[in-house]
Amino acid sequence: MSAVVSQTQVPRFRRPVLGRLLGSGTAMVIAIYILLMVIYALFQSDALSATQFSDQLSNGLPLALAAAGGTLVVLMRGFDLSVAGVIALADVLTATHSSDGPMGALLTLAMVVGVGLLVGAVNGFLVAYAGLQSIACTLATMIICSGAALLVLDAPGGNVPDFISDNLTGNIGFVPVPFIIVLAVLLGWAALKRTNWGVGIYALGADETAAQLAGVPVRRVKFFAFCLAGALYGVAGMMLTAVTSNGDPGAGTSYLLLVFAAIAIGGTTFTGGRGGLLGSMIGAATLMLLQKVLFSVGVSSFYTGIGQGLIMIAAVLIAAFSARLARRMPE
Amino acid sequence: MTGTRASVDGAAPYLRAEGLTKAYGATVALAHVTLDVAAGEVHALLGENGAGKSTLVKILSGIVTPDRGTLEVAGRPFTPGNLLGARAAGVSTAFQELSLLPNLSVATNLMLPHLLKGVGGIASARRNEQAASALLQEFGIDTVDPRSLIADLSLAEKQRVEIVRALGHRPKLLVLDEPTAALAEPGWLFEIVERLTAQGVGILYISHRLAEVRRLCRRGTVLRNGRSIATVDLTGTPDSEIFRMMVGTSQDEATHAVPKRRETTPRLSVRGLSGRGVHQVSFEVGEGEIVGVAALEGQGQRPLFRMLAGLEPISAGAVSIDGKTADLRSVATALKSGIGFLPEERKTEGIFLGLKTASNVSLPILERVRRGGLISRRMEAEAVAAVGLQVDLPKRYQGMRISALSGGNQQKALLARVLVSGARNLVLFDPTRGVDVGTKQVIYGAIRDFVARGGSALVYSTELAELVHLAHRCLVVYGGRIAGELAGPALTEDRLVSLATGHGDLAA
Repeated sequence: MSAVVSQTQVPRFRRPVLGRLLGSGTAMVIAIYILLMVIYALFQSDALSATQFSDQLSNGLPLALAAAGGTLVVLMRGFDLSVAGVIALADVLTATHSSDGPMGALLTLAMVVGVGLLVGAVNGFLVAYAGLQSIACTLATMIICSGAALLVLDAPGGNVPDFISDNLTGNIGFVPVPFIIVLAVLLGWAALKRTNWGVGIYALGADETAAQLAGVPVRRVKFFAFCLAGALYGVAGMMLTAVTSNGDPGAGTSYLLLVFAAIAIGGTTFTGGRGGLLGSMIGAATLMLLQKVLFSVGVSSFYTGIGQGLIMIAAVLIAAFSARLARRMPE
Repeated sequence: MTGTRASVDGAAPYLRAEGLTKAYGATVALAHVTLDVAAGEVHALLGENGAGKSTLVKILSGIVTPDRGTLEVAGRPFTPGNLLGARAAGVSTAFQELSLLPNLSVATNLMLPHLLKGVGGIASARRNEQAASALLQEFGIDTVDPRSLIADLSLAEKQRVEIVRALGHRPKLLVLDEPTAALAEPGWLFEIVERLTAQGVGILYISHRLAEVRRLCRRGTVLRNGRSIATVDLTGTPDSEIFRMMVGTSQDEATHAVPKRRETTPRLSVRGLSGRGVHQVSFEVGEGEIVGVAALEGQGQRPLFRMLAGLEPISAGAVSIDGKTADLRSVATALKSGIGFLPEERKTEGIFLGLKTASNVSLPILERVRRGGLISRRMEAEAVAAVGLQVDLPKRYQGMRISALSGGNQQKALLARVLVSGARNLVLFDPTRGVDVGTKQVIYGAIRDFVARGGSALVYSTELAELVHLAHRCLVVYGGRIAGELAGPALTEDRLVSLATGHGDLAA
């Protein structure tokens, strides 16, 4: 099948670039982000400084990582609520079971990834192999993990090693460490998306039966997607501890809904098969930036939730509108 | 396993199925099915919906494992654990309910589940596109861009891609399940079939179109109620005999005759209708009249029907019903104006798979079966049972989930839904797509009864023979315009074809 391929000319077709760009949710969330950034720069003189940027990255990273993980499941038309539980568990484990120095941080990373993988594997097994509903199973594992977090640390506190709280939010040379982490996740995803597994996620998100008839190993693809999602939640929890320099067993709760908001703003549809990690991570950054914008404009922080909700509605509206526009574009 | 048993002289069968049995709980889908396909043979699989064809296809594709019986491919036992196992053994299938992923490109769909890799084991878009393009060219559909999304293709293009994907696995046994259901021009497929058989590929060909089957196949196996009734030499067996074996009783030939139309007043009147792909279309459908619409793929018939259904915007022109202007801004207003629409893609546009059959049927009349604001199950059941009689939908199916019904019965349920809505003007887009002979007769009967009671029907069909049998007159759409109209003795397949291909002068 492949021997003659190289000699064949691909016929020329015009690619509807504009249509494709309009249809992509990522383009839209980038536009929203830039708009907010402009507003922020107008009210806050140092908005575009390196320190500000680095700060924003650190604060936004836990949500961005969690949203990246959640996206994997949403792409498959599933829901993973365990994100809140895993973040809490990873957060308190980091605050209680870490030793100082680079080796200590590495061990902590291995620990939180391990915990995330384990929870993800349980979710994946229940959903993919036992055929249960993702929303119910992951709700259960979320409750279990939140409970386990209380056993590890029953009140905010703990003892976070300086290496973790300083270095993970600091710079290597001029480059902020969170930026390196974001880049690593995005590069990893760019590669994974182009594997049989990655394409399988999009395939089964669109139509599970058709994916099966196309030969996609549906159960295996699902299982590993839940595992990887869990691992990302674990890293998110560790980053949260690094940012707050504190362990908190209730830390995950506030993230639960924000994760899904970030995914929606990022252009990943809850009907599956459309979207991606980049959009969700920028979506997370947008939500965090909005807090700062509202603060700098002088709006009370009590309005943050209202603002975030409105942005989300706007994003979903624009997504629906631009998708329709993209469909109407002449070929 | 009675009846004649024709065999291919000399050649050893490539596929041999012996006593295949498969039951789902108490439902026996296949019972002792025996069948063989020789290398280079196009073997027809005939049977009504629910006869067990789908189950047999699934078994051959490796998706379902039979409870009993043996399968041999090329003399070796064939026990694929899954779809890929079947492909590895040289069997691949083009599925009836298309198995393409709408959100992925044509190229990715053709390559799934194993994409071609470039540097570092990462799939290379360029290599996949080239391979896909080569495949599309090889099988003569290079008008399809390998980079375009499946969702952007027409139904006919999707069907072609589905077939090409099966061909791309270089099968030694190809299973084609209703491969022409969405193709208005099946010549493309026939050429490929001839090419493959010349190379010694065996083909199991499933189609409800007997003319097509006769053209391609010499032998065929008839299934009925999960049993293989007989393998027959098709050249020596008349249609009536095949129908008899499929249905169990002899087909009534008289149903082909078109009932005389009464002179009538126009019910549905379309004046200068224009929109995307449709230009200045005018016609009328009278009371008691069935008007057919014939067209090749993509001539504007689809947007025309969708406009009448309120699904697509109208840029100019007017539609009136019984002299009153119809409001076609939405499906709901179109329905209120009296238009009942049966959509093209049953799976995605028609039914609610998760709901019971009765609930699928009663959707448009929920208002009428309410008592004190709540839906009365008894009133619902009565209404559904009444309309169920018209379309011959057995009562026992009404409480079942519609997803458990065969394609033909799902189509009956959809037609029932259109009928129960009380619409006086039916707009049916390919109402018999992929349904068996028996169901077709039921659908024809329901349409005729409907117009006999004073309704009107506009019917598009990809099968010209069907239009000739069913319609009082037939409009031909070409290039978004009405290219001509045929009625009475002038309404023949040949003339329809010349008009539909833009040769109106020949038809005159």
